[in-house]
Amino acid sequence: MTTLAVATKQLLERLHDPTVDVDAEFVVAPTSMEEAAEILAAAADVGQAVAFYGAGTHRQIGNPVDADLVITTTAMNRIIDYQPDDLTVVVEPGVTLGELEAALTDRKLTAVLPETEPNATVGGVVAAGRSGYRRLRYGPTRDRVLQATVATGYGKVVTGGSPVVKASTGYGMTRLFTGSFGTLGLIGPVLLKLWSQPRATATIVVDDPEVARNAAYRPFAVLGTRGTGRIYLGGTKEEVEAQAEAIGGRSSDGLDWPQPHDPPLRLSFRIPARFVDEAVLAARDLDATGWVAQYGVGIVEAGYDRITSDGFAAARSWAESVGGTLVIEASPDDLRRELGAWGSPPESVELQREVKDRFDPAGICNPGILPGGI
Amino acid sequence: MARAVDELTALLGDDRVRDHPLDQHLFAKDAGLRRGGAPIVVFPESSDEVAAVVKIAGAHGMPIVARGAGTGLAGGAVPQEGSLLVVLTRMNRIFEIDEVGRTAWVGPGVVNLDLSEATADRGLHFAPDPSSQSACTIGGNVATNAGGPHCLAEGSTVAHILGVELVTADGSTVILGGEAPDTPGYDLRGVIVGSEGTLGIVTKVLVRLTENHLDAATLLMAFDTIEDAARTVSEVIAAGVVPAALEMMDKPMCVAVENFVQAGYPTDAAAVLLADVLGHPAGTAASIELLSDIAVRNGATSVRVATDESERALLWKGRKSAFGAIAQAAPDYYLNDTVVPRTRIAEVISKTYEIAERYDITLMNVFHAGDGNLHPLVSFDAAEPGMTERVVAAAREMVTVAVAAGGTLSGEHGIGFEKRDLMSSVFSPEDLDAQARLREAFDQDGVLNPGKVLPEGSRCFDWGPA
Ligand SMILES: Cc1cc2nc3c(=O)[nH]c(=O)nc-3n(C[C@H](O)[C@H](O)[C@H](O)COP(=O)(O)OP(=O)(O)OC[C@H]3O[C@@H](n4cnc5c(N)ncnc54)[C@H](O)[C@@H]3O)c2cc1C
Repeated sequence: MTTLAVATKQLLERLHDPTVDVDAEFVVAPTSMEEAAEILAAAADVGQAVAFYGAGTHRQIGNPVDADLVITTTAMNRIIDYQPDDLTVVVEPGVTLGELEAALTDRKLTAVLPETEPNATVGGVVAAGRSGYRRLRYGPTRDRVLQATVATGYGKVVTGGSPVVKASTGYGMTRLFTGSFGTLGLIGPVLLKLWSQPRATATIVVDDPEVARNAAYRPFAVLGTRGTGRIYLGGTKEEVEAQAEAIGGRSSDGLDWPQPHDPPLRLSFRIPARFVDEAVLAARDLDATGWVAQYGVGIVEAGYDRITSDGFAAARSWAESVGGTLVIEASPDDLRRELGAWGSPPESVELQREVKDRFDPAGICNPGILPGGI
Repeated sequence: MARAVDELTALLGDDRVRDHPLDQHLFAKDAGLRRGGAPIVVFPESSDEVAAVVKIAGAHGMPIVARGAGTGLAGGAVPQEGSLLVVLTRMNRIFEIDEVGRTAWVGPGVVNLDLSEATADRGLHFAPDPSSQSACTIGGNVATNAGGPHCLAEGSTVAHILGVELVTADGSTVILGGEAPDTPGYDLRGVIVGSEGTLGIVTKVLVRLTENHLDAATLLMAFDTIEDAARTVSEVIAAGVVPAALEMMDKPMCVAVENFVQAGYPTDAAAVLLADVLGHPAGTAASIELLSDIAVRNGATSVRVATDESERALLWKGRKSAFGAIAQAAPDYYLNDTVVPRTRIAEVISKTYEIAERYDITLMNVFHAGDGNLHPLVSFDAAEPGMTERVVAAAREMVTVAVAAGGTLSGEHGIGFEKRDLMSSVFSPEDLDAQARLREAFDQDGVLNPGKVLPEGSRCFDWGPA
């Protein structure tokens, strides 16, 4: 056992001594996955709940977790193996998106992760299964996580997936881990598939995003915000120019993504793509201060100063009635406790619980953060 | 067993339950090498019927094996004696197509090519295009995470499946994933893809459809050495250009194809590369130029560019009839499906030829070079004594070479029965144990396709602290 693991184990024993009254959050930063696994094994021994943080940029997503012990990935922050000629990279979880993209610029490559969250960590983004706007063209993040190493809730280091760009070798463990919100264990190094940046890009302001989407050939993204629609193109210079001309509207070079703002409350409508316009109306009815609608994808993220419980309940039941969800992506903890971060649990919740029980038998990893108390 | 047959017959009628020795013989094998035991074969026509037959099998302790068209190459659909073999080819309806969301709900028995043909008038297609696409089913594609030439740019089947309806081991039905993105909770939809019938039977599939390209060109590039062709592939990828497809065929393969379909392939080149450039008309010219430049720089002896649809179709017909073509060489074939980093293709291929020479077997190569997905194919006659064993031994050595170069066992065919004992060459005992835990979460009693994917004894650890 490493010194940190031993110290953590002693700390955990003290925390569980009924005569000691502690009311604090302890943060440990393991430097390897083996060390993280030892800490998890010790926590499982005493049944101590553990939360995981990367940069902590998405601490408010999911149901609030009560955990006195926090494992952060900040001490695992290296780019381990960059293979530009094979379009792959292996990164530790604490590397930020900004750092990763900076390392890829020498060969004009990109990992196609969220464009406007440079401080988020790779581990956090993979754990939360977050994708950027370019998913319309390149697919969601989970399509690019080719291999992942996890320190499981039962204290072992496990690698799933394959170290190549295409595989049908064993179960889709990377699919299971991506978006698991740390409920199966701590997500460590991941092997990501890269794409090259196109030689030319453009952002075009359009009136009707849906019409523009149909006129464009495989755009990066088609976004609607208050008062404007934008379509994002990439390709060769000739291709981008020809398309800009065909679509019409004001065009400028480069990708001008909507700037994130930090409202006290953030909701995400995830609905079948044909309901995006209706979701925008629903978001506005709740008095959104701003929103970004992803056409062709089916996500509308909206910011609020406050919401009423009734209005929220109506919006959530509409989203669920069309086969989607309304997720609270940021709020004070109390509000998520009251309304539930996710809404009705998915039909497969019992199967999900079976999975959780086998990867985290002691129930210590981010307990309750997912729907259905998983 | 007789009781089970009676119950199944009461449910499905005589003609949809088969236990005649001829049927049992026919269905005891897929397109791989091994033959299994005699199954009871059923042909359900709805999800409810699948659920009901699974319950009957459960009550009689029969293993349950799902089967699509049986074109699998890993023995995934090969039953053991006394299994219930659930053939899904009659569940072949396309239920609804959503043009705005570009999705469709389809039955698992829909044939891959039929789906793209049914959506063509809307300018859409199903991107995964295995060479077997005129026969294999969407359910089989889901279960094997099938690939195909055009998965280079578009991704394998998993990137094109948004949801599935699954009948689980206990005969209940559940929908995983769906039309809305990022369903909260675990991505069990993604886990089902590639699970080879061991986690449940897929009874409906929500597919993502891809918009058709506006412009297309196919390049046929010839080389004097395999190394030149392989280096061209590596350099194309390293340049960041991802063509829609990038396939390689070696000389023996080109000769076989030419004899078979006269597609206009050179028969004197050591290797050819077939590339597809698809996209917006204003962009294809630049990509063609870039590819040709790289090929010429790496010693291409000729570069032919086909932009005319019929000429393109003929070149692709050559590629897609490769498996048919090799039947003229010998009655049987065996192929590997390893994937290696794109920087290591030349080196691994040349070692593969050395192995073939040492074992004195006929090797042909036709593969998805752009992905590094190798298909060294041995053509042989299984009737020759000791031949099958020799072929399998050589194939294993080829796998070892690919794994040593940082590769993996299968890119698109799956593990099935034929490769399961090689799993420990790419996964540690802990890794296999984790996969076994996942499987157990879906199927505690191990009734679904037992003996496939994971080697015996994968579940090696205790459940840890309770
Ligand atoms: C000539 C030839 C060329 C080929 N080319 C390619 C290629 O380019 N790319 C490629 O990826 N593959 C290729 N294959 C392999 C094969 O066609 C694919 O693996 C295909 O996806 C199998 O589909 P199927 O319907 O025949 O499935 P089957 O062979 O019937 O079954 C395959 C596996 O899927 C499971 N299964 C089938 N249906 C279901 C279901 N509904 N629910 C759960 N499990 C199910 C079975 O249990 C089995 O494990 C080729 C095969 C041949 C013979």
